[in-house]
Amino acid sequence: MGGRLNARVARDIAARNGVNHNEVLRRAYLFVARNQTLSPSVRYQAQLQLNNFGRYTRPGTVKNRCTETGRGRGILSEFGLCRFQFRLKALNNELPGVKKASW
Amino acid sequence: MSRVVAPARLAALTKLRCSIFNTSYNPSSVRTGAKYLKARLRGPSMVKYYPPKTFTIQDINRMFPEMNLVDEAEETRLEDLRALKVRGKGPPKKAKTAADSRRAARKK
Repeated sequence: MGGRLNARVARDIAARNGVNHNEVLRRAYLFVARNQTLSPSVRYQAQLQLNNFGRYTRPGTVKNRCTETGRGRGILSEFGLCRFQFRLKALNNELPGVKKASW
Repeated sequence: MSRVVAPARLAALTKLRCSIFNTSYNPSSVRTGAKYLKARLRGPSMVKYYPPKTFTIQDINRMFPEMNLVDEAEETRLEDLRALKVRGKGPPKKAKTAADSRRAARKK
C-alpha cells in the first residue's frame, strides 16, 4: 500500500480479497437461485447458501477509498483520489492530461 | 404498403440469430440466471485498486538489521532531541513518589 493504511483501508482491502476469493462460487449459487427453470426447493437451498457467505464476500461492501489518504468521501473514482489529493497531484503535474481550467 | 410478417417467421429469425451470435434463445423471457454467468468477474480488478506497498528505509532496517542503513530523517530527529536536552528542554523527570507528582499539587 503506497498511501496511508488505516483500519478502514485495511477493512476495505480485506473485503476486496474476500470478494475475489469467493466470487466464482457466489456466482454459481446466484445462477441457481435466480434460475426460474429450476425447482423451487433447489433455488431455495442455493439462496440459503448465499445467505451463509460472510459479510466481506459481497461486492457491495467494497468501497473505493482514497489511495493516498484513505478518505472515504469525495473520491474521484477515475483517479482513486479524494478531491484534495486530486488537486494537489494535478497542480503538481502528477496526473497526465489534467490541468487547471482557466479561460 | 408494409406487409405483416408472420410471428412464426420472426421467431425463426430470432432463433437463427441466436445460433449465429451464440446467445441463448429464450422467447418467453424466462429468468435463467444467465446474466450471472455471463458477467465478467469483478474480483481481479477490485484487488488491484490500492497500489502495492512501497518500502521505506524503516521497513528495510526492520527486515535486515545487519545492513545498517542510515535513516537520514531519523538521525536528524535524534540529533535535534539531543540538542534540546542539552538546553534543558527535554522531557520532565518521572515522579518517584506520589508527593513528587505534579498531580498532588494540583487544585482539587
